[in-house]
Amino acid sequence: MASAQPGPAKLGEPDLILVRYGELALKKGNRGEFEKALARNLRQALASTTKAEVERQHGRIFIRPERRCEKAARRAAEVFGVKTVSPAWVVASDLEAITAQAAKLLDSALAARTQSEPVSFRVRARRSNKAFPLNSSELERHVAERILPGPETVKVQLVDPEMTLGIEVRDRKTFVFLDRFEGPGGLPVGTLGRALCLLSGGIDSPVASWLAMKRGLHMGYVSFHSAPYIGEGFRRKVREVVRALGRWQYKAPLFTVPFADIQVAIRDQAPERYRTVLYRRMMQRIAERISATESCGALVTGECLGQVASQTLENLTCIGAATSVPVLRPVLTFDKEEIIQIARRIGTFDISIQPEPDCCTVFQPSRPVIRGRLEDCLAAEEQMDVEGLVQRALDGTEMELLDHEGGA
Amino acid sequence: MTTVYLDNAATTPLAEPVREALAPFLGAEFGNPSSRHALGVRAAEALTRARAQVARALGAEASEVAFTSGGTEANNLAVLGAARARRKEGARILIGATEHPSVRAAGEALEAEGFDVQSIPLDEAGNLDLQAAQALLTPQTVVVAQMLVNNEVGTIYPVARLARLAREHSPKAHVHTDAVQGLGKMALDLDELGVDSCSVSAHKVHGLKGIGALVTRPGTRLQPLIFGGGQQGGVRPGTENVVGAVAFGAAAQLADDRCEQTFEHATGLRAQLDQGLKTLSGISLLEPGTDRMPSICSLLVPGAPAEVWQHHLEARGVFVSVGSACQSNDSSVSPALLALGLDADRARRVLRLSFSALTTGEEVQVALDALGSLAPELEGLS
Repeated sequence: MASAQPGPAKLGEPDLILVRYGELALKKGNRGEFEKALARNLRQALASTTKAEVERQHGRIFIRPERRCEKAARRAAEVFGVKTVSPAWVVASDLEAITAQAAKLLDSALAARTQSEPVSFRVRARRSNKAFPLNSSELERHVAERILPGPETVKVQLVDPEMTLGIEVRDRKTFVFLDRFEGPGGLPVGTLGRALCLLSGGIDSPVASWLAMKRGLHMGYVSFHSAPYIGEGFRRKVREVVRALGRWQYKAPLFTVPFADIQVAIRDQAPERYRTVLYRRMMQRIAERISATESCGALVTGECLGQVASQTLENLTCIGAATSVPVLRPVLTFDKEEIIQIARRIGTFDISIQPEPDCCTVFQPSRPVIRGRLEDCLAAEEQMDVEGLVQRALDGTEMELLDHEGGA
Repeated sequence: MTTVYLDNAATTPLAEPVREALAPFLGAEFGNPSSRHALGVRAAEALTRARAQVARALGAEASEVAFTSGGTEANNLAVLGAARARRKEGARILIGATEHPSVRAAGEALEAEGFDVQSIPLDEAGNLDLQAAQALLTPQTVVVAQMLVNNEVGTIYPVARLARLAREHSPKAHVHTDAVQGLGKMALDLDELGVDSCSVSAHKVHGLKGIGALVTRPGTRLQPLIFGGGQQGGVRPGTENVVGAVAFGAAAQLADDRCEQTFEHATGLRAQLDQGLKTLSGISLLEPGTDRMPSICSLLVPGAPAEVWQHHLEARGVFVSVGSACQSNDSSVSPALLALGLDADRARRVLRLSFSALTTGEEVQVALDALGSLAPELEGLS
């Protein structure tokens, strides 16, 4: 049996993960609720990485992962509402212990470096324990003087250094850390209420949903399925999108609405050029009805001004007029490239481009109307049993709760 | 609603005798065929038996069978392996115009490696243009790959005649055939085909997915695609998929034992389909080529794209497949259908019904009835 040799100043796994949050601190009135939501979201996010305890304390959240600390920290840094995340070591609030831990941390970071030129470095200290003998800048100087190996390896640089060693002195314990992972900002999902996103199968609507989640909305999803004109492959694709977005919301309801009858009715009874606008008006009506039963305060769509010829202000107005619920269009003014960039980053792009059409070619008008007029929409719908079509679609709607799958 | 499964060219259900044959290998018989103890030896013997069963279906020897992860790997191994082993002898490759993507894509990979890849054209009737093939066969041609049965429209290609031409004009060439759609549906014999290698797949003959085989003539030179512990003579190393192989052996034997009846049976079903379609105006049976595999029937449907027909049939419990998806981009159009002279619009109207030995006349009638009831609704759409 080989015995483990205690190496000199060996650095173990971090003791915990320090989570800092930004904007929350501004929300004085309901800050407690925001923190609670953030802690809950962190717990759910980490479930796919490791078992972990999440604890709230004085404007910080601490995570104690069972294992995979670094991975857990990176995962925590994806949760909306998180500003930064640091894996940290905990020592007694004692000058000697703090200095010793700081030295170990710096040594191990320097040992891992491959470049030979000196690294720019600073110590940044904070203390909430005002009884601590040194103030913040005295502590910074005290530690730096004792741990710095020499100018050939480390040079002090107070502004924008490559390496910052952090020290946070609390009552009895002090946190020492080096890494700081940037979080996505935003607000914890669920703190601003609920919304229902119309998922089309394209690139835009998942991005719209992500942006809405980022601002604290808890999302439900509705998709419209033209079976038997299109196949089950479309439903699989939509599920995959919802699961991918589950990286930020963990669990979400997906409503699948049978839509072929409505498309047939519109195709047979309405002016061909108005088909697309009328389909979308029906979708919004149905989504509004679902949002009411799901306590959703808004609809979210991936509509984007001018992305296709028919996405005009006039058509958006016609479509929006079908519902009285607010319609949020987070990507309305984005360029296609900007949307694609986000879609790639959040992992929905590759799913969205799978060749599973959301609408059968037989329903597509050859020349969709560019500047639709609301009175024409209303006139066309007068010929149809709108309420009956909506009701039958709702009767056939299926709901499923989808989890995030695939881990961190 | 009863399910009528008419997509047997895509895959087939596991046959009951096959399930029984493989069962012990999911339980007590878990040995590694390379182990020297009794458990391992029993696994090795089972593997040899399975090889013999697959070999027998192709008139080959057990030692000539290398199990692979499926038809795709077998085709890759043959085309890439033969070409790379002959790099110094020539750089020309000849592949069929309607090959499965696993052959076509292997050809593209070789092109990137500097090989000159040519395609064997079809004539207007959908037959192999042997005259054109002959002109393309040169002494520098090192691989000729031609499928035996077209998986989309069922044409049986004269591989034996092509192989003879290849021997004559390209003596250095390795001749490969993809017989995935032929196994168990027609009598196969490697000698009669005159090829150096032949790929087959288990799940097309009521075996399991994830296993196939490349059957090669003795002395065939192939550069392996993967490297490892020397199993299967080093051609395809890695601990063998014993469960899959045992199931494949049983399935191949079953399929081969009744391949002539299966062919007859499918001929009857096809005639029934053809007869029934005559009363349905607008739907026609594609009949490219002189010889055809009766179990693969391609229909040209009117009006809506084939994909719409497919999903409507599915809603009535009838499972079929389409030749090309109804996307607007041309990349989704099957190159094989284009090679048959169909334009992109017609290629999107090809619906494939494929039978197995288990398909019944009643099922074909259900499909016909469903097509008949859908026609009024779908033929007017575009």
